[in-house]
Amino acid sequence: MNRFSLTSPRVYVPLGLVVILFVIPLVMRSPIFLHLMILIFFYAYLTLSWNIVGGFAGQVSLGHTAFTGIGAYTSTLLFIQLGLTPWIGMFAGAFLAALMAVIIGYPCFKLRGAYFALSTIGFLEAFRIVVENTNEVFGIPIKGAQGMEVPLRGDSLLYFQFLDKEPYYYIILIMMFIALYVTYRISKSKFGYYLLAIKNDLEAAESLGVNIAHSKLKAAAISGFLTGIGGTFYAQLILFIDPANIIGAYLAFEIVFIAVIGGRGTLLGPILGSFLLVPVSELTRVYLGGTYFGVHLIVFGAMLIVVMLFLPRGINDSVLKIYHWVIEKLERKGSHALEGVASR
Amino acid sequence: MEMLLQAIINGILMGSVYGLTALGLTLIFGVMKVINFAHGSCLMVGMFASYWFVTLTGIDPYLALIVVVPFCFAFGYLIQDTLISPVFKREKGVREPFGVLLLTSGLWLVLDNLALLLFGANFRSIKTPYSSLSYQIGDIIINGPRLYAFIGTIAGAYLFHLFLKKTVMGQAIRATGQDRDVAGLMGVNVYRIYSVAFGIGIAITGFVGGLLTPFYYVHPTVGYVFDIKAFVIVVLGGLGSIPGALLGGIIIGLIESVVAQFLTATWTAAITYAIFLAVLFLKPEGILGLKGEW
Repeated sequence: MNRFSLTSPRVYVPLGLVVILFVIPLVMRSPIFLHLMILIFFYAYLTLSWNIVGGFAGQVSLGHTAFTGIGAYTSTLLFIQLGLTPWIGMFAGAFLAALMAVIIGYPCFKLRGAYFALSTIGFLEAFRIVVENTNEVFGIPIKGAQGMEVPLRGDSLLYFQFLDKEPYYYIILIMMFIALYVTYRISKSKFGYYLLAIKNDLEAAESLGVNIAHSKLKAAAISGFLTGIGGTFYAQLILFIDPANIIGAYLAFEIVFIAVIGGRGTLLGPILGSFLLVPVSELTRVYLGGTYFGVHLIVFGAMLIVVMLFLPRGINDSVLKIYHWVIEKLERKGSHALEGVASR
Repeated sequence: MEMLLQAIINGILMGSVYGLTALGLTLIFGVMKVINFAHGSCLMVGMFASYWFVTLTGIDPYLALIVVVPFCFAFGYLIQDTLISPVFKREKGVREPFGVLLLTSGLWLVLDNLALLLFGANFRSIKTPYSSLSYQIGDIIINGPRLYAFIGTIAGAYLFHLFLKKTVMGQAIRATGQDRDVAGLMGVNVYRIYSVAFGIGIAITGFVGGLLTPFYYVHPTVGYVFDIKAFVIVVLGGLGSIPGALLGGIIIGLIESVVAQFLTATWTAAITYAIFLAVLFLKPEGILGLKGEW
């Protein structure tokens, strides 16, 4: 049987899921629902980006919002000052974020485990405090803790702003698939195996000739680049940026929690974690957040504790098990239908 | 000149409180090799326990310590026993137990936001007859409760030191910190020791909380400030070192109050981070070079 035949469940089930994601906005038109889906993809995108360093290479960074911050501030400042479209500013921000990842990574990667995690928090907090207390850089206002509004241009594809949710939906969905593709390519490459070796046994990897520092920095640069683009997307979606949110420690922790709950170092874990956590946290935020700010964080924390206790490798393995079970059921059905045809 | 002297004294007084908080963190790290990300949140729990006990019974805040400290010990013991231990056992062979780090950061979010949910974001404080009491020596004014807190932290740290050196339990804790496998072979119930050590670490934050409430505002995110400072302090003094924690605390307290004479409070915080990162990168074993005595 042809492996890529459309009649094989191994092809049509995942393809069907992807098609459903693309069709959703045509069927469900509620902006609230679409916004929720956008947030799910956004968190999944950030977590996929984080996963390159935190998952594959095993370097748990608790300061990844430094990169969303750089991305968001760079594209927004270029837009305000030079009128440059965020579509280009986005890449400027991403390059700066990658550069920052290398600069921060260079000293931090020399540290191990808890020390590494603490140093990333240190950088993030220092960076946020500096931005919060800086009103202008070389005469360019960045307005400190007050935050900046992205100038409105109405419904404009050129300036990356839309009145409807649908365009944002497709942009972040495609971004998520690109991030997934990048992590997939890394996981199948020599570089990906280097990262895995570093995660599992640093000394062994080094003695086998893996260039530890170079591999870690490369992973950090790719991760920072993607995360920076995520920052620009957030700025264009909300049309407002401030240090407390876009460079905040909470967002940085949320990314890590989604990764851990989904399955750190797995391909689909970040997406699964996001699909599980973001709706729960958004619903609690919407229904209880008005009166009880921070309730969704209780949910985040509690779920993390439960997962750490009972599913230390995240939900990825369990979900994949169910998925393969469904696929096998469907295949068996299919092979019954094709009586007499040898399926293998 | 008087301003500077005043700042130095205030820095030492407050720094000793930071130091004792960090002592709990360094104890837990020294014994278990785990960084408790929920440490500041546990301090917040201690402060609220003290606040509510004092407000509801009208008892003197320092007398309330008799209840607050055992309460915090039980709280810490239970957290270790029910939540951290299972994850810890699973990660036994792992050199850097990340599961525990993540678990405690989950706990941090839950505790802080639960407090926000239950008590609201208001800043609360206890009014005592001596809240505004102060002593004057020349031109220097020393706030009463801050001075008592300083005396309390020094006494607390000394008691803790005696406990570690003189009692059987203290010896068992030190033995476990030095080599848990050998300690286990010598008949020490290692997981019970972990629970006791964690309990004591949290009891210390409860003690600090009780000393803080007469002059420091209680609110749900109060822990975050102390959390980050405690990390900075233990790294500064050397993870696992008891005198290092106290000295590190006083150094941070001094930087905070002396630098604040020249710069805004937020820039002072940025400088604290800069020092923190510099120590991490240049001398991760701590500037004081004090070895953890485990």
